[in-house]
Amino acid sequence: MKKITYFPGCSAHGTSEEFDVTVKMVMKSLEVQMEEIPDWNCCGATSAHTMSESLAYALPLRNLVLAEKLDNTTMAIPCASCYQRLKVTKVHMDENPALAKEINSTIVEEGTYKGNVEVKSMLQYCYEDIGLEAIRAKVTKSLAGLKLACYYGCLLTRPKAITRFDSPEYPVSMDHIVEALGAKATEFDYKTECCGASFSISNTEVVINLSGQILEMAKESGAHAIVVACPLCQSNLDMRQPDIEKHTGKKLDIPIFYFTQLMALAFGMPEKDMMFSKHIVPVEGALAQIGKIEPEPEKIKKPRKAVEAESEVE
Amino acid sequence: MARVGVFVCFCGANIGDFVDVPQVVEEAKRIREVKFAIDYKYMCSDPGQQQIRDAIAQHRLTSIVVAACSPRMHEKTFRKALSDAGMNPYLLEVANIREHSSWVHQKDKKAATAKASDLIRMAVAKSIANEQLHEISVPVTKRALVIGGGIAGIQAALDIADARIPVVLVEKSPSIGGKMAQLDETFPTLDCSQCILTPKMVDVASHPYIELIPYAEVLELEGFVGNYKAKIKKKASYVNFKTCTGCGACWQKCPVKVPNEYNMGIDKRKAIYTPFPQAVPNKPVIDAEHCTMLTKGKCGICAKVCEKGSIDYTMQDEIIEREIGAVVVATGYDMWDPKPYEEYGVGRFKDIITSLEFERMVSANGPTNGLPLRPSDGKVPKNVVFIKCIGSRDEAKGIEYCSKICCMYTTKHTILLHHKVHDSHAYVFYMDIRAAGKGYEEFVKKAQVDTAATYLRGRVSKIYKKGDKLIVRGEDAQIGQVVEVVADLVVLATAVIPPAGNPDLARLLGISYDKYGYMSEAHPKLRPVETAKAGIFLAGCTQAPKDIPDTVSQASACAAKVCGLFSGDTMKKDPMVSTVNNEFCSGCQNCVKVCPYGAIVTEEVPQGHGSKEMRTVAKINEGVCQGCGSCVAICRSMAISLAGFTDPQIINEIVSI
Repeated sequence: MKKITYFPGCSAHGTSEEFDVTVKMVMKSLEVQMEEIPDWNCCGATSAHTMSESLAYALPLRNLVLAEKLDNTTMAIPCASCYQRLKVTKVHMDENPALAKEINSTIVEEGTYKGNVEVKSMLQYCYEDIGLEAIRAKVTKSLAGLKLACYYGCLLTRPKAITRFDSPEYPVSMDHIVEALGAKATEFDYKTECCGASFSISNTEVVINLSGQILEMAKESGAHAIVVACPLCQSNLDMRQPDIEKHTGKKLDIPIFYFTQLMALAFGMPEKDMMFSKHIVPVEGALAQIGKIEPEPEKIKKPRKAVEAESEVE
Repeated sequence: MARVGVFVCFCGANIGDFVDVPQVVEEAKRIREVKFAIDYKYMCSDPGQQQIRDAIAQHRLTSIVVAACSPRMHEKTFRKALSDAGMNPYLLEVANIREHSSWVHQKDKKAATAKASDLIRMAVAKSIANEQLHEISVPVTKRALVIGGGIAGIQAALDIADARIPVVLVEKSPSIGGKMAQLDETFPTLDCSQCILTPKMVDVASHPYIELIPYAEVLELEGFVGNYKAKIKKKASYVNFKTCTGCGACWQKCPVKVPNEYNMGIDKRKAIYTPFPQAVPNKPVIDAEHCTMLTKGKCGICAKVCEKGSIDYTMQDEIIEREIGAVVVATGYDMWDPKPYEEYGVGRFKDIITSLEFERMVSANGPTNGLPLRPSDGKVPKNVVFIKCIGSRDEAKGIEYCSKICCMYTTKHTILLHHKVHDSHAYVFYMDIRAAGKGYEEFVKKAQVDTAATYLRGRVSKIYKKGDKLIVRGEDAQIGQVVEVVADLVVLATAVIPPAGNPDLARLLGISYDKYGYMSEAHPKLRPVETAKAGIFLAGCTQAPKDIPDTVSQASACAAKVCGLFSGDTMKKDPMVSTVNNEFCSGCQNCVKVCPYGAIVTEEVPQGHGSKEMRTVAKINEGVCQGCGSCVAICRSMAISLAGFTDPQIINEIVSI
């Protein structure tokens, strides 16, 4: 039994409840015990670091200090934004002890930061710590037939100097995970484009435009659905999809899954627990693709000649 | 009684702004032995030197101290001034108050001034113990080694050989020609690269003063200027060049195909091959890594079809030695691998190629018969996007410097595209257009008009695929907007980088290289051809990115330097060498072990005056000795002394502060 620290973040208790629920289901199935940080607070998100640098560090640092009181070496965070704030804080504190001391002094009553808990996104934890082999071993209901565009958004792998995980421009970790579940990951060039993020509220047109392009490219790649690991990406791509369709006049009909929902599905867990009913874009069409396998084009075998070499032989 | 003259230089503002020079002069005058002290704006100039010459005569000076820049810069200049005044040049001492004081203590004038005075006091004290020394003559081996057979090495070899000086030209690949042999046409005149290069290649092969050693590398270089000995490894070619006629039967029949380096892997060559049809020498070699006869003992077809019986699978690498007097390093350059540009999909999209791949395709002897083709489907592209500064001027992914040639070759590529595909259109994303050079700006302007290429000033942020097209998204900074170009083919103008082997070669030659791996010149402005090691010179891109005209100029400059070095039968050498006092030498031979130049041997001398008993003492070859002083430091009986740096001189220096 592995044990990790869990930081759900505010959206897990609201808009992305289905992410939270499926993370817990999947982790239980993979025999990972998750310990939620007691009395955790807001990561600060976009607001804090546009207003005050010290506040932007202090909020995540409190969570890091609290996490260190639990007896785990790794913390996993489902929300990409929370992950980003905590990871940035951790890296900057570790690299600059003077700054760590200064920020720590503002939350001194919570304890002293030591820097001994590794911060990972839930995607990174699944990919690096659990591993593809263990995931593949749990699959009872292959997702073969389903074509998926894996969308990472802007924060999960960037900046490289901070995240130190996967490629900042063309990441593949989620692609590998969905392929371990039996699905096919499409060649999707928009996997790290911006979805418009919090402009969804203040300037919706930006999101209509940016998320619209992502959806269109995903459709063009041949995907039946998009897979994400970020609550804000999910809500923009899912919730704004009807607006986008209205704007462009084109029917898209692409459901947006959290990768943990698909893991739970492939692990053979009951569909009703995955909260598909919370999705704006219905998932049934995509899920119906599971099991429909296209025949692979037959390979023409070349006759081999007598002379063999590592290099090509005429 | 010593009579020392002190000459303090302002070096314009270099010293004058940070050191109180008049005060330094006043302090120097207070030293007992100093009979004359003066300052001047530029002591190295003729009026400055004249002051030294005049003062020597007027004040009957016995030694001279010049307080100025590093002795590496102007020691020779001032020594000559002493000679001209009839004084032994080694009675000069240089106090380096620029690099050692004014430049490094710019924030504290008082301290810099005090340090300058200290340095002068030390130099004065040392100079009092200076002795008259005389230059040493050493014999010169009048043969030059040129490393690298690209256009730089070819030009240097030809120019040296034309002066009737023998040249050994070592090339690592099977043919000379280098990168220039891969080019189609050359800017800014668009003459065909092959047409201007191949005659020179033939000249090299047929020149009576050039020994061409292809498929070889330098393993070792020992000795010193005028008297080097090089160890060269001739890699096994498995083909007897003496009997081979280059008929081509072997490579036509060879069944093993290997990606063709000459064509950037676009097509295949055989395991027995000449790099290209115009190769010099036009004899094939067997690629031991891929030949199935050599790896598995199966095949042997080339030996069967060779009428001359030139194939020899048992051939071994051969080590040969050559005595030489000077070395020209001309190892050329490599192209940067654009793999870190993940946002462009490099490696995922077949229709993104590098400039050198484009060059091979549009080349008349290229793998596609001179037509640019999309690697994905072999179709002729209509819209081609050229992106400059890939790796260059990019601190995040590549290197900081400008590769110098990409602006020009990309312009050339737009012209070649226009010539080959008339209904094509070129888009060029650029940061700047750097076209400094004779006829270069005119070439760019004309190309822009003739090809009607669209120039977009800005960086490309992303390339993605839509159907079978590549969508290139970038900024057009001149209109301040993001633009997208639908491209059939994207060509990346990748940076010039030094060859990976440069650091190793530099170490074995004993020369220095910079943080990128380019060989370092002795002085960036005034000695751009020499290295810090006497007798070793640099030509072409091994020193920094260069175009062909600059490379050829530098190669010819190298030849002039080599010819100058070889102009007499003997060479003058500084007399700062070590000598052994046999009376004190115990024969322990520790000095033999520490000498990095192999300059110390042993000899037998009589035990005492008239004695028949012999004993062993150290003996130093003054021609080989470089005056490093290692032997002096290790000698426990203080039997070794280094001229110009004797114990009295050094002790004087120390005592003076």
